[in-house]
Amino acid sequence: MADKTVYRSATENPFHICMPLGGIMPFKGIEGCMILVHGAQGCSTYMRRLLTEHYSESLEIGSTCLNEKGTIYGGEKNLKQGLENIRKVYNPKVIGVLTTCLSETIGDDVERFAEEYLADNDCGDLKIVTVPTPGYGGTQAEGFYVTARRILAKLTQPAPKHEKINLIVSHITPADIREIKRILDLMEVAYTLFPDYEETLDGMYRDEYYKIVPGGTALAEIEKMSGAAATIEMGLTVDPEHSPGQLLLDQYEVPLHRVPIPVGIENCDQFFRVVAKVTGKKIPEQIDKERRRLLDAMIDSHKYNAEGRSAIYGEPEMVYATTKLCLENGIQPVVVACGRGGNKLTALLAAEMEDCLEDVLVLSESDLADIRGISAMKNANVAIGHSKGHYLTEKAGLPLVRMGLPIIDRVGGQRLLSVGYDGTIQFLDRITNTLLENKQRTYRTQMYEKYYKGQRKNITLVKNSAN
Amino acid sequence: MTDKIKKMQDTVNGIMSKYPASAFKGRKGHVIVVDHSEAPQEMVADTRTVPGIITERGCTYAGCKGVVVGPLKDTVAITHGPIGCGYYSWLTRRNRGRTEKPEDHNFLAYCFSTDMQETDIVFGGEKKLQKAISEVVEIFHPKSIMICATCPVGLIGDDINAVAAWAEKEYGVQTIAFSCEGYKGVSQSAGHHIANNGLFKHVIGTGNALKGEYSLNILGEYNIGGDGWEIERILKTIGYTIMSVMSGDGTVEQLKSAHKADLNLVQCHRSINYVAEMLREKYGTDWIKVNFLGIENTIQALRDIAKYFGEQSLIDRTEAVIAAELAEIEPEMEKYREMCKGKTACLFVGGSRANHFQGLYSEIGIETVLAGFEFAHRDDYEGREVIPFIKANADNKNIENLVITPDPKHYRLLLSKDKYKELSQEMSLNYFKGLIKIMNDGNIVVDDINHYEMEQFMKILNPDIFASGIKEKYVIHKMGKLSKQLHSYDYSGPFAGFKGAVIFARDIAMGLTTPAWSLIKPKWKQDTHLEGSYVYVEEVI
Repeated sequence: MADKTVYRSATENPFHICMPLGGIMPFKGIEGCMILVHGAQGCSTYMRRLLTEHYSESLEIGSTCLNEKGTIYGGEKNLKQGLENIRKVYNPKVIGVLTTCLSETIGDDVERFAEEYLADNDCGDLKIVTVPTPGYGGTQAEGFYVTARRILAKLTQPAPKHEKINLIVSHITPADIREIKRILDLMEVAYTLFPDYEETLDGMYRDEYYKIVPGGTALAEIEKMSGAAATIEMGLTVDPEHSPGQLLLDQYEVPLHRVPIPVGIENCDQFFRVVAKVTGKKIPEQIDKERRRLLDAMIDSHKYNAEGRSAIYGEPEMVYATTKLCLENGIQPVVVACGRGGNKLTALLAAEMEDCLEDVLVLSESDLADIRGISAMKNANVAIGHSKGHYLTEKAGLPLVRMGLPIIDRVGGQRLLSVGYDGTIQFLDRITNTLLENKQRTYRTQMYEKYYKGQRKNITLVKNSAN
Repeated sequence: MTDKIKKMQDTVNGIMSKYPASAFKGRKGHVIVVDHSEAPQEMVADTRTVPGIITERGCTYAGCKGVVVGPLKDTVAITHGPIGCGYYSWLTRRNRGRTEKPEDHNFLAYCFSTDMQETDIVFGGEKKLQKAISEVVEIFHPKSIMICATCPVGLIGDDINAVAAWAEKEYGVQTIAFSCEGYKGVSQSAGHHIANNGLFKHVIGTGNALKGEYSLNILGEYNIGGDGWEIERILKTIGYTIMSVMSGDGTVEQLKSAHKADLNLVQCHRSINYVAEMLREKYGTDWIKVNFLGIENTIQALRDIAKYFGEQSLIDRTEAVIAAELAEIEPEMEKYREMCKGKTACLFVGGSRANHFQGLYSEIGIETVLAGFEFAHRDDYEGREVIPFIKANADNKNIENLVITPDPKHYRLLLSKDKYKELSQEMSLNYFKGLIKIMNDGNIVVDDINHYEMEQFMKILNPDIFASGIKEKYVIHKMGKLSKQLHSYDYSGPFAGFKGAVIFARDIAMGLTTPAWSLIKPKWKQDTHLEGSYVYVEEVI
């Protein structure tokens, strides 16, 4: 394995996004929450636009609309006015405040403003959770965990021990969350899943219109996460300082078990092993059947998968899981990349790739231009990542299996299922079928070029030598 | 005041009364009920957004990089800032661009950013920007580079103008810096202004392309869904030369010679009227406010342009083209008209489109009952006659106002004084009448609508269609109503001109009749029926 960071000053066609964007999902994953972005109004508008396109859901995110005056005198007035208006119009249980480049650079003490606002007004049970998320401070992946951690830091209270476990998910799809819940219910495990944006970001048509969409982890549950028997957290690549599970361990001594996103048979095995061990529950026959079906699929598809050479990019946690899935199925990763913040991933993958027949380039800082170059050099035939990779298809003919966020040029990004044994089958099929489709499209030409044309050349050569 | 107007006024008052006092004060003048007996009605517009109200507006950077500079295909736009801004404004589907020859530059598929990190914020990002420019020049050999600033750049004081000057000297590549930090101004409109000023100062007037016969610039046309291509097709069929388009599918190269055109057409008044005015002051070129959305509007525009040039052969050709185009589309339009007539629509788009699309809707029998803009100014609502009365404030004073004097070499007037006077009576020559004048009594005009107001108006007006953008699309669907995106056309289009009108009519008819609507029944819809009449009973039977 080779680790290389192609350092350039111009990021050309990036595939990572900014920190506050990642903070939206955890807030959408708690009950009765409204989000306020403290910065110029473009930040919230841009984020709403991107996420709306991905989830096909409306995202109500307020802005404190900082302008030139606010940047000079500070954003206190705007923030307090923003809180007031959100509270009056939407009556939320929680307001999540995310900061931006602007408010962090001018140095607003957002937490103090929020505390003052609560003290000065009769707000009932309203909670305000503030999160420092400057755009230059990290990517959306870090924004996700940092926000989840701040929510727990603010909303969890000391609680008596109980038998439930905490399940902290990574940035997976609402369909993935639904699958995790099905699995845990099947195992008869008592759990608190956090952040639960299954219904808020993959809504249904309802008879009544709700200003704040129902769903999300209940606040009463979050309060008691401190008393849980254990925490299982999806997040091998997460810095302990950003980890919500670490906070519960440090502050309330809730035992923490870190697992990868359960994509791929090994990651799933590990997930089930941990859940079974922590809860003492048996793995039900149904799950065993699903595992056997996955194995069956892996065996049946291996011939096609063995021809796969993948370029994988996205958020570290999903990139790790996807890379393992490829390795298990004989799909050779040729480049595995994070936009930024992939240092931990490099170390994690090093262990996995010891047996690889060829070097895999792992990039901890990169952009799609890097991926395009390396893919061409190393003959990749499939890319796995989000929609911005359509550029690889358009410019370099590399087919794309859509995965992650944003998926904005196809519908159903929020409904993609990839976790658990069943989800893994679906994800693997998407990859295998993309390889097949590509082969179907090109193999006659390739055969003709390689064998038929080649043969004719040989004949000519023979003739020549006879002369 | 008629009953309809009064009733609507009471409704509006009811919606506004729910706001906390300060927000009420802030929103009050932004919503009016049209009453032509009270004309001219005054709007409050282009003011700061109320914090915490979920606005649909964007920022100054979005207006500059996303709207005006972004669609120029032959230039490399580098976003100097943290990654998000560049990423979000990456043009992919909205604006379209094509190249004539394989060697022509088209950078629309690319996003360039300096991806500033914490260290850059602390120690400054100029060096990184310089390096980024060097890399871009080395890899792409662009003929020009545009640097667009984001919030932190202005705060930490990076001198992007100095970097631009350095790049020009070092590489001989024209480099223009735009100080379009997101916090400037009250909406993306400030960004349009900054971008247009930059292009006017540094690009327009520097080229020497040959001027063709009846030459035009199309200003404020961004080629959403291919609109610009349909407009060009029609104009070229008649015999016009297009000198430049600003800026959809446009190039810096063409823009350089924009000053040589005979006449400027203004499609989006909001984003481009400054350029049209500056071109008039500096080069004497007149502009006509055109609207290529809607069949009648398109015909009007074509006749106005022909009349401006005044040559009978051109006028005859125009009429021949109109007749041929109409004959082609009318049968199909009639089919869709039957499916759509009697419906109502709300329009909330940008700074001009809520005006432009009303004609298209009415041509298929749909009345616009509410219209409003995200970032328009008072003149877009009330007409240009209000401009002298618009008060200067801290926000609009913030944007540079270029002082223009006539260009000694290129200044020319095409019309005699008498002819100018005559034509001014007959067409929107250097004039725009605004939105309010085209709306019916009792209809509502809303500036900078927010989520709360949108929900309320949906319930009260119960329109069949709400046309806006992606951010509002799914809340409208959740309310059981048809949404139509008029920022990006839901990946459809073009909607402009003759052929576009048919596509639009088809889209709306298809949207209104999709079987899903008959399978849902939102509760508040049922309630209306219960209160109202026998319709509900009929449905039950």
